[in-house]
Amino acid sequence: MDFRWDVVWNALPQMVDGAQLTAQITLLGIGGGLLIGTLCGLITAFRVPVLHWLVFVYVSVIRGTPIVVQAMFIYFALPLAMDITLSGFAAASLCLALNAGAYITEIVRGAVQSIDKGLQDAGLALGLSYPQVLLSIVGPLAFRRTIPPLGNQFIISLKDSALFLVIGVAELAQRGEQLTAQTGRALEIWTAVAVFYLIMTFILAMIMRLIERRMRIL
Amino acid sequence: MSRLIACRNLSKRFGTTEVLRDINLEVHPGEVVVIVGPSGSGKSTLLRCLNVLEPISDGELEVGGKRLGDRGTRKRDIRRETGMVFQQFNLFPHMTARDNVMLGPRKVRGQSRREAGELADRLLNRVGLADRSHHYPSELSGGQQQRVAIARALAVNPRVMLFDEPTSALDPELRGEVLQVMQGLAADGMTMLIVTHEMRFAADVASRLIFMDEGRILHDGNPKTLFQDPPSDRFRDFLRHVQS
Ligand SMILES: Nc1ncnc2c1ncn2[C@@H]1O[C@H](COP(=O)(O)OP(=O)(O)O)[C@@H](O)[C@H]1O
Ligand SMILES: [Mg+2]
Repeated sequence: MDFRWDVVWNALPQMVDGAQLTAQITLLGIGGGLLIGTLCGLITAFRVPVLHWLVFVYVSVIRGTPIVVQAMFIYFALPLAMDITLSGFAAASLCLALNAGAYITEIVRGAVQSIDKGLQDAGLALGLSYPQVLLSIVGPLAFRRTIPPLGNQFIISLKDSALFLVIGVAELAQRGEQLTAQTGRALEIWTAVAVFYLIMTFILAMIMRLIERRMRIL
Repeated sequence: MSRLIACRNLSKRFGTTEVLRDINLEVHPGEVVVIVGPSGSGKSTLLRCLNVLEPISDGELEVGGKRLGDRGTRKRDIRRETGMVFQQFNLFPHMTARDNVMLGPRKVRGQSRREAGELADRLLNRVGLADRSHHYPSELSGGQQQRVAIARALAVNPRVMLFDEPTSALDPELRGEVLQVMQGLAADGMTMLIVTHEMRFAADVASRLIFMDEGRILHDGNPKTLFQDPPSDRFRDFLRHVQS
């Protein structure tokens, strides 16, 4: 079977569109996930009364269900249950943010708790206040430690965005499905789709590597 | 009036285990007090209570004229009067030696970057590390790290220095440089409480020796007298153990 480059060439504009949408959903997802995860991670790390139980429930629900089910729930069930209707794009971004947020919660909690208690003692012994210890010592160190696992999570989120084809969002994977149906050339289309994902994950990985290198992980 | 540290009937419990029992201790300016005792006898806990890293369970504590529990006296006010040096150094790994030393003066004494920097340079010079000021802790030997830690503790200008086994985590050949810095401080008149197993150092430098056992102060007196004529079997046994 020969590889028809013209199929790839003709499909390119649509794929670029799809890749753009994938990038947008991913950026919104990891941006929202970072906000949620940082907040919830700090809540669990410092065991904020009551709230840390709510976070525990949230993390358990997200980690305990497949992301496809979460997407279906947000897109199809939420409108029935609460009269909230989201566009496919909004549902996808929200779903990815909630999903990444749960994992980032664990990353942030782990990073904060991994900081040696002795460093906190050393700061307090100097006469720093507890907030000063958090800002000058625990925070910067924990932040550095989140970077490698965050990079991992970002890549997972980017790839997870492919399953939003189940709610009809015209992201990259959904374009792949459509184009295959139109052209009947699965080999060319899915190879091209895979290369697109590869390029995007590669760029993400490089960015994280750069940040890692600029900041000594301690 | 001139007491720098005074505790009366200080007790400390972790849950139901009593770790310090009725500690009565006064330390005066210029004293170099070496605290020895078997592992688990409460030496670290005592130092940590003195700068309120551990809340005390009972009794009274006064440091540098500031009484714990008085209105308007915060834990931080007491901690500022004391400098602490830890067994594991506990340098901030994301800061250079100089930044480690500058943090206290900047945040606690409100000094400018320049003031704090000049102070850090002076103190690093004093511990013999002027040429290492821009190194990160991971780039320093254990002995050098501990000397930076001493400079860091001195930087907030404490009236008492607390040392918790400052040489125990060090290879034998690196201990001398740290002990030498401590000896220098003692010679300059710094008031110090030192938990250590270095009996030579205790005999040479201490003005006073305390032997702790099971959370109590069993002996408190002149090091030479205590070493020459151990007043109890417990202390005699302990000395035999450390010396072998
Ligand atoms: N945070 C803690 N929680 C419970 N027990 C502790 C804690 N810290 C110390 N202890 C106990 O207190 C006793 C005295 O400990 P410590 O002061 O470290 O002794 P030392 O420094 O003389 O070896 C030990 O039995 C130890 O297990
Ligand atoms: Mg100890």
